[in-house]
Amino acid sequence: MTLMFSRAISYKSVWDFAAPDSIAESQRWILSTMQKYGQELVTMLWRILGNEQDVLDAYQETFLQLAHFEGGQKPKHIKAYVFRTANNVAVSMLRRRIAERNRLPVSARSEKTLSSPANELDSKYLQEALRECIAQLPEHLRIVVTLRDLAELSYAQIGRILGISAATARVYRCKAVQLLTVWMSKEK
Amino acid sequence: MKMTKIKTSNKCRRIRAWLYTALNRHFGPEANWLNEHIKNCPRCQRRLISCGKVNLALSFIKSQPHKLDLLKRANTQAIGVLKHSLRQESKAQKLKKRLPEPKLLERCGKYGSSLANLAACVLVLLLMKIGVFSSMDNFHSRGQKVIKQYYAKQVGEDMADEIFPEGSKTTAQRNSHGFTNA
Repeated sequence: MTLMFSRAISYKSVWDFAAPDSIAESQRWILSTMQKYGQELVTMLWRILGNEQDVLDAYQETFLQLAHFEGGQKPKHIKAYVFRTANNVAVSMLRRRIAERNRLPVSARSEKTLSSPANELDSKYLQEALRECIAQLPEHLRIVVTLRDLAELSYAQIGRILGISAATARVYRCKAVQLLTVWMSKEK
Repeated sequence: MKMTKIKTSNKCRRIRAWLYTALNRHFGPEANWLNEHIKNCPRCQRRLISCGKVNLALSFIKSQPHKLDLLKRANTQAIGVLKHSLRQESKAQKLKKRLPEPKLLERCGKYGSSLANLAACVLVLLLMKIGVFSSMDNFHSRGQKVIKQYYAKQVGEDMADEIFPEGSKTTAQRNSHGFTNA
């Protein structure tokens, strides 16, 4: 968090003094993008991360990357860029969080992370287990499953974002669910 | 050319739907042979339970709501690191106060039942109106027929035809004659 904040501050100062005014004038599309996709992005990030502070950081990082894309140029497919970036940022954060948790000694971890029959029906335990499994998926499968199941986009929209056909997206999602099923059963 | 295209696509859609149903019946999760197999196969049972767990976890994740002001805070934080001139834009100020809005379909969803009730009421009223008018017309024509018959009996057929000429027949009468003639 502190790291994120300091990075944000540094970006802020660089952006304030280094970029020419003409770029800022022509960067109003960033605000339009925020207005158009902000709500969907926040929902997707919330579902991936499940933590408000992480959502705020990931959202900020996404728009920072968008503002700095090729020296402040507007990407050709903004929706695709924004969703993919947000997804990657969120999954990196999730992986970091999992790694930090795994570094803790077993005794220091909360009881909920250890599997027990009572945890099987515990929603928080199930959510965390699934998030962990999603973070382990190969990128092409992970992005489809997050866009389809967490961002609730249609296969056609996913196809357009990823540059694949809707049928391919459907196949990837099916494979992702198969893998998640196997991994979730191993979680036991 | 266009019509042929539409016809083909309709046919194609029908076939696809039929194929889907047929395949689902024989190979879907509801298929009898599959249920029988799962009953006796512990490995498939485990796999099915895990699949259920994945779906359950996804539903849990989707049903978990975030705070209402999360979008507002996220926008504020993200705008805070953009260039100064962008931060001063009126759009940026609006975004900082923005709350999540339901989609158009979700917004209309709550009026769905009211609209359906209204439509049903209008339909019932329309049917009642049609029914009442058609009964009145029928009643009128039958009354005229009876009176004509009475006159015909009392003063003769010619006089009755003069008093009730053929042109004065009501629509219902005309229709009923047309029907009997046919």
